[in-house]
Parts: sequence; C-alpha cells; structure tokens
Amino acid sequence: MKSSTDKARDTIKKELKSKPLESIIDEIIEEKLNHDPSILGQGNYFEIPDKLVMFYKYSYGGQSRFFSELKEHAELYGSKCLSCGILHFPPRTHCSECYSETKWQKVSNEGIVLSSTTSWYATSDFFDKVPYAVGYIKPIDADTGILQRIDLVGREIIEPGTKVTAKFKEKRKGVVSDFWYEIKV
Amino acid sequence: MKSYKQLKSERKRVAVVGTGQTKFEARIPDKSYYELAFDASKMAIADTGIAPAEIDSVVYGIYNDLFERQIMPDTYVHDYLGMYGKPGIRVTTGGATGGYAFRAGYTEVASGLSDITMVVGVEKGQDCYDWAQGKSTPEVIKSIAYSADMTWEFPLGTSAASSYAILATAHMKKYGTTEEQAALVSIKNHGNAMLNPFAQSPMKISVNDVMQSRMISYPFKMLDCSLYTEGAYSVVLMNEDKVREMGIEEPVWVMGIGSSNDKSFTGSRSVNDRMGKYGDIADLRNHYESANMAYHMAGIQNPGKSLDVAELHDAFSFTEIQGYEAMGFCERGKGGKFIEDGIPLLNGDLPVSPSGGLLGAGHAVGATGVMQIGEVVNQLRHRAGKRQVKINNGKGLAHSIGGPGSSYCSVSIVGVD
Repeated sequence: MKSSTDKARDTIKKELKSKPLESIIDEIIEEKLNHDPSILGQGNYFEIPDKLVMFYKYSYGGQSRFFSELKEHAELYGSKCLSCGILHFPPRTHCSECYSETKWQKVSNEGIVLSSTTSWYATSDFFDKVPYAVGYIKPIDADTGILQRIDLVGREIIEPGTKVTAKFKEKRKGVVSDFWYEIKV
Repeated sequence: MKSYKQLKSERKRVAVVGTGQTKFEARIPDKSYYELAFDASKMAIADTGIAPAEIDSVVYGIYNDLFERQIMPDTYVHDYLGMYGKPGIRVTTGGATGGYAFRAGYTEVASGLSDITMVVGVEKGQDCYDWAQGKSTPEVIKSIAYSADMTWEFPLGTSAASSYAILATAHMKKYGTTEEQAALVSIKNHGNAMLNPFAQSPMKISVNDVMQSRMISYPFKMLDCSLYTEGAYSVVLMNEDKVREMGIEEPVWVMGIGSSNDKSFTGSRSVNDRMGKYGDIADLRNHYESANMAYHMAGIQNPGKSLDVAELHDAFSFTEIQGYEAMGFCERGKGGKFIEDGIPLLNGDLPVSPSGGLLGAGHAVGATGVMQIGEVVNQLRHRAGKRQVKINNGKGLAHSIGGPGSSYCSVSIVGVD
C-alpha cells in the first residue's frame, strides 16, 4: 500500500503539469468563457469568473536595516533591548516586554530548530517547491526564533533540536526569502 | 471580572435563547453569504420566539474579506437582515472569529447597551478558485495564507496547516504524542458527524485510513485536517430581565468567558516570558489562560467532573489533543492517552465535539465558533437528536481558536439552572 507521502508525491506531479494561474487566467476568461460556458456551474444560479489584483510600494519602516544588511552584506541582525536585554529576532525597534528602545545587533548564523513541519501541499506559488520544510529557528545567541525554510536534503522530517546554519542566496532582493537554513554537518 | 455567582445573585446574567443554522457544505452556490446569514438568523429568531425588530444589536463573525470577495461584508448582511437603524459590528479573529463574536455579543448585553443581541457567524469560503487546476483548495489556502505576517512569514510558503503542524511536532517531541493517537480524534469526530444532519463530512474510518491518507503538512495527513466549508450559524442573546419578562422556557446562561491571545510570532513564545508558566511552542499557552479565566468566572474547580459536554476546536486532529490538556480535562502531555482511554467519545465520561467538530461538521470559519456554542446549548436543552449526550450537571464548554500558531483563543462556558 502506498504511504501518505507517496500519495502526496503522485498528486504533486499532476499539479505541476498546470501552468501558473496568473499566466492563463485572462486567457480563460477571454477565450474559454465565450466559447465554452459549460465550465461554469449549472443549476438555479448564475456563476462568473473574477480576480482581485493589487499593486503596492511598501516600506519596512523601523525594521528596514534588517533587510538592507541582508541584501548588501548577507548578515542577520536582531535587536537587543537596552533595558531588559532580550535579543529579539526578528528585530523590533522597541521591546514588547518592557517598551524600552532596542539597539541593532548582529546575530549568529548558527541556530537551533525549535520546531518544524514538512509541507506536502501548497498554493500555486509554491507547487514546484514541495516537499519543503519550514520551522522556527533560534540563532544560538538570540532569545526568540524566526520562521524560515530548512533544506531537507533528502529527508522527510527535520526534528526539533536540530542544529542549522544560515545560508544566503547570491542574488538577494531584500526579502525574507533571501536566506534559508541548512542542517549543520 | 464579576463571577457568575455574583451575576446570578444580582440577576444580571446573559442567556442564549435561540439558535439557527444552515447545513455546512463544501459549497453552496445557490446562496450568497448574506443569504446564508439570513437563513440561519431567521431560524434563530423563530427559535427565540421574537420578531426581528426586537433585536437591539448584531455582532457579525466573518473571517476573511478575500473569501467573501468583499471588504466590510457585515454591512451588506446587516442590510439584508433588515437591521438598519440598529448597531452592527464585525469581529474577525481567524478561526476564533465565532468565539470572539460571541464574546462581543455577550458584552453588548452584559454592559446594558442591548437587551437582545444576535451573533451571526457566516463564511463563504470556496468561491476562491484556481482556474488552472480546476479546483478551489489552492486559492482558498492562499487567501488564508495572507493572514500570515506578510513581511516575515507569508513569503516562505507557510499555510494554516503548516502553522498548526509546527505546534503539533513540538508537542510530539516534548510529550511523545503519536500520529495514531491523533487519528483516533479524526475517527471520533467524523463518526459523530454521522449523527448530525447539518454536518459536511460524516465518515466511518479507521486508524489505517487516516495514516494512509495523503500527507499535507507533517504530521497532518488529509484526514487529520478539517475541510473548507460554507455555512452560517446564528444565536440570540438576552439579558435576565428580558428572559423573565418574555417567559423564555429554556434559557442557557453564559457562565464564563475567557479569552487570550498569545504572541503571533510563534518563535518568540518562551518559557522566560510572562506566559512562560504555561510552557513554550509545544503548549497552547493562551488556551490554558483562556480556560483559567472562564473557569474562574464560572466557579468551576474540576472541569472533568463539572462539565457534561465540550466542543473543542479540531481544525486539525492534534489540536484537539492539545485542547484536552489546556482545558484541564487531563494532565499536561497526557492528551493522547485521554483519547486512547475513550473519555471524549460520545458515550464516554466527557463527550467532546458531539457535533462532529470541525473535522466532521465542517469549518465554515466565521460560523464555526458560533456553531460550537450552539451545539453545547442544544445539548443542554436536550435538542441534539441522535447525538444527544447525557446531561448531569447542566454545564458545557466551547473552545474557539485561530490565527497564526493559534494565537487567538476564546473559551465559553454555558449552563442551565
């Protein structure tokens, strides 16, 4: 009998055959609907296709330095509370525990997995990535952990407590997915 | 916080006096979201025995604007229900939307601002549609994924399932909870749903069926996960004076409400912080806190002995196991054994989710938490048909949770005199 992960693999193959939705939605609306309205539901209701698209220009605000250091120097920065000493990662300009200001502080690339899961099902944006692991990783010198991808390197599960190291993409855009973690060898 | 005992002596209690619902189904294309809300509300108003115009205010539990294809969907439901001239507000707290809407409805009445308030939970979750694949689910989970922090977490491909799976793997590691134990929750709740005519997923299944079902996000397989659902559920709340004046026959009193939000950045939940006494990422700390508040208000010392029935939030099978512990039904870390011992079964000592829960009855997000409370109310009123459990003490609990890493939790305790 096939295992649950084998079944997931079979379905993933089928899902990968379809083109990204964004590239064909207008084609579907324009062509198919005019010639083949049967793709919509039949019955005592009237059904039509639709989409919502929004464009933005947004700022990281007080967390901006994290992303500029990540993009320019491939370094990870947290923020240390000047009063109670908590090293927040991800960083925040003010400590949520005591409301004091924080200062920027580089955190270690070495970390420990607090907990993780392996995703076998995803939205259209991530079909081609499954299976992939996401989990909370605490840099060894920080007090809190960040959500990040962990390279599975052929495994199916990353256990809590696993030691990991941050790795950085060569071409970085200044987004959280510019880095990931790999199991420390 | 005033205790239930004090509210009772002052005759300042609030009662649930009517319930109404639509069937929970994968998709209901012949009804819009405001028509679903209307159907459930009409039934709740009739159950109460009042005219719609007697309602003083309405609280709407509607989770997701992208589901409804509408920002401020509550204002259109308000219009459709003919509630113009009366105040209406919306609550949106993820999966806990229904539980928190009930809390807001309670405060409307308890504060004295309203004598009669209706809480309407509704969701039309399956209009999101991936045209390339010819199915809803990928777009539905995308519209939920936008609830993850858009800067730090959404870009990594997180989902509702992965967010809760991370809590489950931590619980497995810390306490030794197994996938087979979680499967027992799925079997129980899909089985209970066979006795609920309003349920979406009635099924007789085995441990093997759950273990062999398609992997979604480890350790969750397909049959560990609730499905997306469309539907509505409404309840009517009334103050004690009005209950007496109208001669309501079976008021079910709100005995306790407790609500708590933990840090939404799950990785920062530490044993060293203010909620550290409840544990870390493996423990649903805000669920413990919510339960403590609700029990304190209700004056309940031993929930396992005092409660006749509970509806726990089983969006995922493991989450119900974590719920047994946080609600104090068993010792911390012993949730897996609690289901193995059969205590939460329909004929067990403390039946949990006789409705079928989210796994069996369905998860119509905004409606779900209201449904759970309505189910407990109808169990206490002996109106639960084939799934009626034995009522000894006349008290029940509903647990409503949601948000990233289950950051929202609201617990409601109701009882009869």
